[in-house]
Amino acid sequence: MMALTDFLRDVGNDSALLLGGLRSTLLLATTISITGFVGGVLVFFCTLTSNRIGRYWVESYISFFIGTPLLVLLFLMYYGLPQWGVRLSPLWVSIIGFTLNVAAYNARYLTTAYRGLDTGELEAARAQGFTSWQVFTLITLPQVLRLSIPGLTNQVILNLKDSSIAFLIQYTEFFAQIQELSARNFKFFQAYLFAGIVYLGLVSVIVLIARHLEAKCMIPGVRG
Amino acid sequence: MALLEIKDLVKRFDGRTVLNGVTFELNEGQTKVIMGPSGCGKSTLLRCLNRLLEPDGGQIFFRGEDVALPDTDIRQHRQRIGFVFQQFALYRHLTVLENITLGLRKLRRLSTAAADKKAAYQLERMEMGAHRLKYPAHLSVGQKQRVAIARALAMDPAVLFFDEPTSALDPLMSLEVAAVINQLRSENVTMLCVTHDVSLARHVTDRVIFLDDGQVKAEDSAEQLLTTHADPRIRQFFGQPAALK
Repeated sequence: MMALTDFLRDVGNDSALLLGGLRSTLLLATTISITGFVGGVLVFFCTLTSNRIGRYWVESYISFFIGTPLLVLLFLMYYGLPQWGVRLSPLWVSIIGFTLNVAAYNARYLTTAYRGLDTGELEAARAQGFTSWQVFTLITLPQVLRLSIPGLTNQVILNLKDSSIAFLIQYTEFFAQIQELSARNFKFFQAYLFAGIVYLGLVSVIVLIARHLEAKCMIPGVRG
Repeated sequence: MALLEIKDLVKRFDGRTVLNGVTFELNEGQTKVIMGPSGCGKSTLLRCLNRLLEPDGGQIFFRGEDVALPDTDIRQHRQRIGFVFQQFALYRHLTVLENITLGLRKLRRLSTAAADKKAAYQLERMEMGAHRLKYPAHLSVGQKQRVAIARALAMDPAVLFFDEPTSALDPLMSLEVAAVINQLRSENVTMLCVTHDVSLARHVTDRVIFLDDGQVKAEDSAEQLLTTHADPRIRQFFGQPAALK
């Protein structure tokens, strides 16, 4: 009990640093969730091209970023690029690396949902005289996005949790501050348990929002 | 002048000729039914006429203009044709009203109020006014059919295409569809209907085109074609004895 009280006092003493770390975590997770979402929609749009070579490149992009560990990509950019004279801040490396990775996953969720679309609706839209872009924005995307809500929100949760690996390229987010704290007071168990509880609390908020979104955006008669 | 004049229309899929020189005309205010065995190219023909499929040869004159030419404004051409699909193809994320107003707002550039008013008129015409805020999943098959027709009519098309309008319906509902088509016929709406439903053909038209092996094998009055036509294959198709008494 004493150990816990001591730890909480340490947390109180370091609250400014920990809150700063939490802000950095939320900044990174929010940014990559937005850029990864926009990137995912763009990549998904490219997968619909009738050009075979174009489709091959888009599929290769998705397979490459899903198939390679994110950490390798971050290290490649943060420690590898300076070899060629390109130096980026830890935040920029994180944003670019995560975006490339998350966009590939999001595109995969969207293409999977697309396969569940009724192609008759797309044909009907073309028959009405809509342009390809209108068919995409008015018929395809609204349905595909709604069908993909579970996958997309799950990705947001992963973004929040995975953002902790950014500390390995010197980005001082929440987990990095926890490391710092535990290195000073040697209460490793309490520190990591505390970090776990904070992440769990944030994830719970995302889950609640996701459930609300899913219920609100459900297409009647269609299971996502 | 004919509204639609099709000359020697050809369509091939992977070397297989599905339409092999189809020729016929459709006049303003006329209703024609295209019949024929499965795989004879009926649905392909409709899709070639509005360029959902690209014909490999022949001409399609729409009010005298050849719309099969490569420089045709395909979207403009499609907007003159109301297409009612076999499975209705309603946009399932939109309400009945939104299904109809989408084209009016985005293609005809009507304001939301004007589009709503126009859609409401078409829905009343199809006796679907009370269902305007429902989603397609909450409609019966017959109601979906009516919404699909209302959606097509709302765009003020020059001609309505029906692709197997009764294939998903039970006999009672098929009669309902026949009644709707007859109602439109009495209002001089030009229609081209693909079906294998003999009963529907009898009810909605006096001109039937018989398509077989990708060609128009006969075009005649419904009664003549369905009962006493000289070609035994045609008589057999319509369930009549091959040999005439």
